[in-house]
Amino acid sequence: MQLTYVEAIRLALEEEMRRDPAVFLLGEDIGVYGGAFKATAGLVDAFGPVRVMDAPLAESALVGAAIGAAYTGMRPVVEFQFMDFIACAFNQVVNFAAKSHYRWGAPVPIVLRGPAGGGVHGGPFHSQNPEMHFVHTPGLKVVEPATAVDAKGLLKSAIRDNNPVIFLEHKFLYRRVKEDVPEGEHLEPLGKARVARPGRDLSVITYGAMVPLALEAADRLAGEGLELEVLDLRTLLPLDLEGILASARRTSKVLVLHEDTRTGGLAGEITALLQEHAYDDLDGPILRLTAADTPVPFSPPLEEAFLPSAARLAESVKQLARY
Amino acid sequence: MAENENPITANPPAAAETAPAKGGPASEPGPARPEAPAPAEAAQPNRPKAAPPTEAAQPRGGERRERPGLRWRRRRGPSPRSGESQPPRPAPRGARPASTEWFQDLRQERLRFELEEIWNEGKLAYRWSGAITPPPPLVEPRGLSREQCLEIFRWMLLNRSLELQLENLYKQSQVVGGVYFGLGQEGCSVASAYALGAGDWMAPMIRNQGSLLVRGFRPRDIMMQYMARADSPTGGKDGTSHFGDLGPRRVIAPISMLGDLIPVMSGVCLGERLQGREIAAMTWIGDGGQSTGVFHEGLNFAAVQNLGLVLIVENNLWAYSTPLQKQTRIRDLAIRARAYGIPAMIVDGTDPFQVYQAAHQAVERARAGGGPTLIEAKLMRMKGHAIHDPAAYVPPPMLEFWRLRDPITRLEGWLKQKGWLEEGAAEALRREVDSETLAERDAAEASPMPPPERAFEGVYCDGCHQPRPRFLGRGGRRRPQAES
Repeated sequence: MQLTYVEAIRLALEEEMRRDPAVFLLGEDIGVYGGAFKATAGLVDAFGPVRVMDAPLAESALVGAAIGAAYTGMRPVVEFQFMDFIACAFNQVVNFAAKSHYRWGAPVPIVLRGPAGGGVHGGPFHSQNPEMHFVHTPGLKVVEPATAVDAKGLLKSAIRDNNPVIFLEHKFLYRRVKEDVPEGEHLEPLGKARVARPGRDLSVITYGAMVPLALEAADRLAGEGLELEVLDLRTLLPLDLEGILASARRTSKVLVLHEDTRTGGLAGEITALLQEHAYDDLDGPILRLTAADTPVPFSPPLEEAFLPSAARLAESVKQLARY
Repeated sequence: MAENENPITANPPAAAETAPAKGGPASEPGPARPEAPAPAEAAQPNRPKAAPPTEAAQPRGGERRERPGLRWRRRRGPSPRSGESQPPRPAPRGARPASTEWFQDLRQERLRFELEEIWNEGKLAYRWSGAITPPPPLVEPRGLSREQCLEIFRWMLLNRSLELQLENLYKQSQVVGGVYFGLGQEGCSVASAYALGAGDWMAPMIRNQGSLLVRGFRPRDIMMQYMARADSPTGGKDGTSHFGDLGPRRVIAPISMLGDLIPVMSGVCLGERLQGREIAAMTWIGDGGQSTGVFHEGLNFAAVQNLGLVLIVENNLWAYSTPLQKQTRIRDLAIRARAYGIPAMIVDGTDPFQVYQAAHQAVERARAGGGPTLIEAKLMRMKGHAIHDPAAYVPPPMLEFWRLRDPITRLEGWLKQKGWLEEGAAEALRREVDSETLAERDAAEASPMPPPERAFEGVYCDGCHQPRPRFLGRGGRRRPQAES
């Protein structure tokens, strides 16, 4: 079935709600309106306003209510209209949900999902990549699919997981990605990276909307005789260390690419892991290409300057290939 | 902290129906609209309130499955009942409505005192002024047998005895960190939790040791939490009252950040509702915690969704060292309920029977699908914020006033006067409770410190627990309510 990324999200929600009566949705404008990006279109008609609840504009209340419902055995899925607004619920996420199982053995099977990322000129409050706040919080899982197949398969796994999962959907991909998506029980495991394109010369480790950018660069560079391997992390916490090391050992050169800002970004963590575990396997420095250390600017030329681009990626790759 | 005695319903109900006069206080709460005129009690505010309101005068919701928040209707222009313009008398600041559909004040006395800032030899301090008067007798317990009253008394004694042991353990350096006392708040803590049924849920605050005991935890559980021992309910991973039980006791563990339990307990009600059950979920907050944003978010969510939240606001007049006046401009925290369209009650938090009556009513309403209730309990934190805090900022006469309102002394006096506690029985009960906490203390001390490797366990649930909705049929069918 040919589905866009956002249609795959919607299908995953619908299938999981049909499969398990414990699954229900909470969010702002997700009912009659079907969600700001239509990720829940029609679900209120199928499941009613109790299982597809239009909630007040109050993110702390949404996450708190999801946690409470999860304690009674339910599996709530909370939609954030934009993932930037998860900052409003930060305390509930990092202090209540993340620490609950560790502190008193009470699992919190909730999914906090919504659109993240830039490239759509959304400005400083509708374009952010908030993953690192949560990657730095033990007890959470952080997932970001790059394809429609993964969007569906990972979301289904996230809903079935017993832990709080931050599920970042890249809004740039919502309607730009369309592919054949398997129906029904197709699950993608959390915590496993995916080789999006095998290659022998150099690994580009990335996730989210940077995956298609890396694939585009790989296509172009293949014409110049440079074979890139593109590793799509898919899950950012817990990281797939084995997958990262296997790719690094195949190519001996690694560039980490992400759309999040540079300082304290995931590239630093992956670089450290490679130093610790694969130092002897590397034939060059680990490079990183990331967004700049600024808020996400609004005006298109500013945002383009801020984000990693295919041209800059090709440039960095060539620099690394010279080693 | 003088509380004003002029209830605004001194206005005839018809006048109160009128739109507020221009320039009049916009925030004054009126009687519930569009219900019938307030009960007779409201129309005669000077009549002493001897008897608490009858069941018939209680806010409805039990039998009629309506949403209080959605019944509110907007009137355009003057009310047809108001007749010629009869502007409401502006109520002085701090005024509170007498008992109405949405509001009940069960107290037998009004607190009249002032707290002001003064300079004392170059230091800023607080001065308390008021009359140190004895408290009125307790209200008659409604719906409580002699055995139940004695049981509440015993829980309160156990609560205090436990805290005395915690203090001893602290002085012997057996406690890791601080100790948070509920001295003077035992009646509220115990009697509110006592109103819950087996199918209800609760989440304590830091001082609600008593509610944890009522809910089935043992004194040793609380002691081991404070001592960070291996066999504490959290296995040494967290301390104080930060523990719970998703099993039969149905207790949610709090976090240190105040207010966050309010949406969480609302979500507990929501989760149960999705399984076909209306239950009560009780939690507590203080005058300080009520200032948080999440208090508003959570209470509003519960109100909009008509969830069975029972929120006890323990107004103990101090948030650490900050007096109520620096938290809020209002005197009665209960009037905030009006803004959420939910019923509220004020009780004397040192009268366990008032607390029980209000909590029982709120729990019944919640189970009947009548939505949330806010209960303000007026009391006093009789020790510092934690054991390290001598609370030198509290003026001594203020403590003297409240010492006369010690909930255990008050209940004991009432039980003796009633003839329900015979000569020497209280002393015998105290000895029994004290030997129980001593034995519990021995058990707590016998527990070792946790093994270091435990620090790395349990970050994730990897199948060690199987969360599932207990009351949801496999095909999504709802079972009838199994418990009450």
